[in-house]
Amino acid sequence: MNVHALPEKEIVAIILYTSLFLMILSVVLIVFFYFSRKKIIQKELEKKDLVLQYQKEQLHAIIFTQEEERKRIAQDLHDDISSKLNIVSLNSHLLTAPNLTEAETAEITENIINLTTKALDNSRKIAHNLLPPVFEKFGLNAGIEELCEEFETSKSVKTHYKNEIDFDDKDIDKHLHVFRILQELMNNSLRHGKATELWISFTNKDGVNNCDYEDNGIGFDSSNAENQKGLGMKNIDSRISFLEGTIKINSEINNGITVNFTF
Amino acid sequence: MADIFIYLGYFVLTIDLILYTYSFFRKEEANVFFVSYLAFCFIMQFSMEAMYHFHLNNLFLVNIFIIGQMIFLGLFYNSIFNVKSQKRFVLISVGAALLILAIQFATDWGQFLRFNLFEITLASLLVVIFALIHFYNMLTESKKYYYISIGVMFYLLTSTVLFLIGNLTHNLSKEFKFLSWQLNSVLLVMYYGFILFDWKKNFSKKSVN
Repeated sequence: MNVHALPEKEIVAIILYTSLFLMILSVVLIVFFYFSRKKIIQKELEKKDLVLQYQKEQLHAIIFTQEEERKRIAQDLHDDISSKLNIVSLNSHLLTAPNLTEAETAEITENIINLTTKALDNSRKIAHNLLPPVFEKFGLNAGIEELCEEFETSKSVKTHYKNEIDFDDKDIDKHLHVFRILQELMNNSLRHGKATELWISFTNKDGVNNCDYEDNGIGFDSSNAENQKGLGMKNIDSRISFLEGTIKINSEINNGITVNFTF
Repeated sequence: MADIFIYLGYFVLTIDLILYTYSFFRKEEANVFFVSYLAFCFIMQFSMEAMYHFHLNNLFLVNIFIIGQMIFLGLFYNSIFNVKSQKRFVLISVGAALLILAIQFATDWGQFLRFNLFEITLASLLVVIFALIHFYNMLTESKKYYYISIGVMFYLLTSTVLFLIGNLTHNLSKEFKFLSWQLNSVLLVMYYGFILFDWKKNFSKKSVN
């Protein structure tokens, strides 16, 4: 038997079906590619939108914190300095009054001296809050040490600070971000976490600077996205992106918080 | 010598069936339709082999195999799709194909005993389309049943052409008669290999834990 024994109709059918199969297949493949492309492009657009939205949110957060900070400074100036200087000015006017006894003059001068000392003290505190002089003069390590001391003395929190890195003074701009992040974290631990103990350590792993932060506060549910959108967290996020680092935040309710970031 | 691929195919298929059945009963993770499909393939392969040894015409089994493959893989993809319209498309197209084929067999019973070109084209195309829809879904989602779908695409595209020219090879001389079937057995080994690989990727780790 050979091929020619097949009726011609049969061979034609085979050819027709084979080409039909390939034809439909190619159409299906083209449709598949068309829709796949569309889907991928749409996905990319969505991703870009998300990035844009994220940037917008960060910008909002920055502007908002700037305003908050201004408000706070204005209030500090008004409450702590202006009011005292006012009284100083009043007292100095009193000094010019005629017929003052020796004792009265002494009292008024003492008042003035007291108030100016307080005003000076407060202005130093305000300046200190804005940018700790120790940090500026002696770098990050000393800055954090002082920050810990401050927390220990004024806020009755136990702090454990360990540093293995010799910080370069040239990177002071970067270090300011690190300092601010830690400041924010510590404030949060105290204010929201009700923590009584803090651990901070700097390590260097393969040329990358690491900072581990831990507290024993009440923590939060880190799987809940709502908890990661606070203003403070956004600020930390944008600082991390300035540092071109990464951040990992882990927390469980009643189990404190652990934060690890690189810079 | 060429038979080695046929037996290798049986061997890999048996392993596939055992592993997927194990995953199904132990963890209930494997898809029930896919396990049924493997069982169906297994039964079909061995009944074809048995009929070959008893010198019976086993061609009608090829027809049953192709239709069954369409039904089982259709149900399998139907169960893993998430979009309602895709699910409906699978059910309607498989139903329509079965109806058309039933009408064809009713009018011409003889088609059942040879390579039915219309049936092969229709069934294979449908399964290929289902696999493509699954690929489309996988573009943005996790790669579930990724290697199985690659295997399905690969095997169906190549074997369909072999089945389509099946009636031609029927009349070739003894020397070349089984060439396309030897090729088919190699393809089958690769296909079952893909299924095995998918099991290794998706189920083996979990069954260890």
